[in-house]
Amino acid sequence: MATVTESKARFDELRLSGKVFLSNKTAVVGLAIFLVFIGDAFLVQVAPGVLGVQYPDSVVPPQFTQTNPECVGTAPEAPSFNHLFGTIQYGLSGIGCLDLLQLVMKAIRIDVAISFFIVLVGAAIGTVVGVVSGYFGRWLDEAMMRVTDVFFSVPFLILALAVGFVIGRTLVNMALALIIIWWPLYARYGRSLTLSTKEATFIESARAAGSGRLKIIFRHIMPNVLPPVLVQISLDVGTVILIFSTLAFIGFLPSNALVPELGAIASIGLDFVALGDWWPVIIPGAVITMFSLAVNLMGDGLRDVIDPRRRS
Amino acid sequence: MMIAAYGLSKFFPIRGAFRSTASLKAVDDVGLKIQNEQVVGLVGESGSGKSTVGRCLIRLLNPTDGEVLFDIPDSELAEYEKARAAAATERLDAIADRFSLLRRSSSELRPLRRLANIVFQDPYSSLNPRMRLADIISEPMLSTQFCSRAEAGIRARELLHEVGLPEFFEDRYPHELSGGQRQRVAIARAISTNPKLLILDEPTSALDVSVQAQILNLLRGLQQKYGISMLLITHNIAVVAYLAEYVYVMYAGKIMEWGDKRKVLRDPQHPYTKALMSSVPVIGETMTRTVLRGDPPNLVVPPLACRFHPRCPVAFEVCGWSADEVVEDLEYLLAGKYYGTFGDGVHVATEGDRTIVVQGTTDAQRISELVAREQEEIRSLKGIKAVDVTADATLIHLHEPIEPDMYPSTDGREVKCLLFRTGALVPAATS
Repeated sequence: MATVTESKARFDELRLSGKVFLSNKTAVVGLAIFLVFIGDAFLVQVAPGVLGVQYPDSVVPPQFTQTNPECVGTAPEAPSFNHLFGTIQYGLSGIGCLDLLQLVMKAIRIDVAISFFIVLVGAAIGTVVGVVSGYFGRWLDEAMMRVTDVFFSVPFLILALAVGFVIGRTLVNMALALIIIWWPLYARYGRSLTLSTKEATFIESARAAGSGRLKIIFRHIMPNVLPPVLVQISLDVGTVILIFSTLAFIGFLPSNALVPELGAIASIGLDFVALGDWWPVIIPGAVITMFSLAVNLMGDGLRDVIDPRRRS
Repeated sequence: MMIAAYGLSKFFPIRGAFRSTASLKAVDDVGLKIQNEQVVGLVGESGSGKSTVGRCLIRLLNPTDGEVLFDIPDSELAEYEKARAAAATERLDAIADRFSLLRRSSSELRPLRRLANIVFQDPYSSLNPRMRLADIISEPMLSTQFCSRAEAGIRARELLHEVGLPEFFEDRYPHELSGGQRQRVAIARAISTNPKLLILDEPTSALDVSVQAQILNLLRGLQQKYGISMLLITHNIAVVAYLAEYVYVMYAGKIMEWGDKRKVLRDPQHPYTKALMSSVPVIGETMTRTVLRGDPPNLVVPPLACRFHPRCPVAFEVCGWSADEVVEDLEYLLAGKYYGTFGDGVHVATEGDRTIVVQGTTDAQRISELVAREQEEIRSLKGIKAVDVTADATLIHLHEPIEPDMYPSTDGREVKCLLFRTGALVPAATS
């Protein structure tokens, strides 16, 4: 009996959450675009053939050598029915052409995965540091916050580049570099949320009720800290993609790595802009913007869902 | 005896650049007792330390000094007080080891948490916004292992009913409730483990007046039904008058007067209590208010001896006048009000704790006259014991202040005012 009412209550909860989210039209648009991105990433991962994508981990086919018989020597083609996003030439001397749509579909998988990875790991580290530092306070707080200050004091692009050149320029290392940049943000945010929650009298009344420190952290602090952090995560996924595609664009990923990444593709496309071929730069850039925008719109909607005061 | 506190003090360190250099004496040497099933009021203005006392009693704050004995048989308590009077340390320790809350580790304290709980002032921040009411009410039952999770759920529903809320509220969240309803939930949580003692920290101050009465009636009903001892902390005299049997009056971290509610409220003895009661409007009567001058004292450097003396309308010679206080008023008189008499060049300064030097005049006669004339109005001048003359200046000597104690009054109450010290020098002010 108890479980029945409980599951019903939970179901009502979900329905209410859905209602609140759906009433925000821009958030729904954001969600729709976001789902297209996720769907693409998922398909490329499990069944690349469905989308006609081959060799999903590389820009060029493994056996791609000197010539691509389809379009040797010809200039990049503008978007058409055959190639919706147009094509690009790989290599300045026109070794061969690549379909930009396919390239973008491959890149989306990598970009989405990496941006989630960076933000989730960064948020996990940062939130734990922030909550511990905010809750226990005193010298521990001082020590931890001074460490985060050190990370904050270096401009993030410079720090990322420095990390990259120390540990090597690969996709995984770029993610690590950005995690190193990202966690202090969450440490500060988590700490400030913890501090404001800690002062609420319900914490004091939990102590009066005999709850121990761990119980207070997990039952009272965490449930009040996590929702805003989740909203921040959903907003940051859109920001981090901008930053690491910037890094890729300015050459963090060595060009011979041939990783399909939106910033790297735009960087290849830069070679053609001088010839008046706009699509190799504009299209990857627009895809980045779309993703960033969609995630931000969705995050706004999520904030309404998560805040109990906004849902009644 | 439900709870008895002796010499309870709480000093909050003030953080300097590196380490704390001073402390704020929020509660200083407070004694307080609550009998079984008794409601005791603790009144005082904001910042007087009354909430701190409440928190120290159930160790939400750890007192700097003092002793809190909880749930102690009257015979043992009598023995303890005897030992205390005789300063028999061994005997004291033996009793305190068994009943002291301050000698319990936090794990030993946990089962005792069932027996005492607290209701806070602001029901908007005392309920976790992310917990359902059932979980909020169950929390004390679960963390003190009062009962199993399933039983706690059932009891939560009963408690909602008990405090006058419908049982289906159990799945609601605090933000769906009004202030009065929230305070009912806070009360349900506080009584969930059948406590013997409840600390009520301004339970009605954040509520509308119409709702205040409902909450007070609820508290009174619960008190009568379960015989819970209560400490009612409030600045609202009417609330104390309605619920409490005994009243403690607090000012600047010290108890000023305590006794039976009727006596303290109707016929206050301590000058502070008198002023406090005169601020309560009575229907059909013209108010004769005693308006206190000045502000509550700085508790980092509290006034000497009686903490109320700087504002007291009847303060006299030994109430605690410091050289600084007298200098301030003398300066006003000599260089301000009586500028015409003394002219320029009069300079007043302290010399040590109990002496003041007035440079630029040797007219002790005139200063004495002036002091005699003004001292009813400017009470600090009462602290002047003698006026001397040296070659080029006037020396003013001050009385030695006397620290007031709790003096038993004739009708069973205790008052911390030197006016009630037996054999005290007759206070000129009361004539």
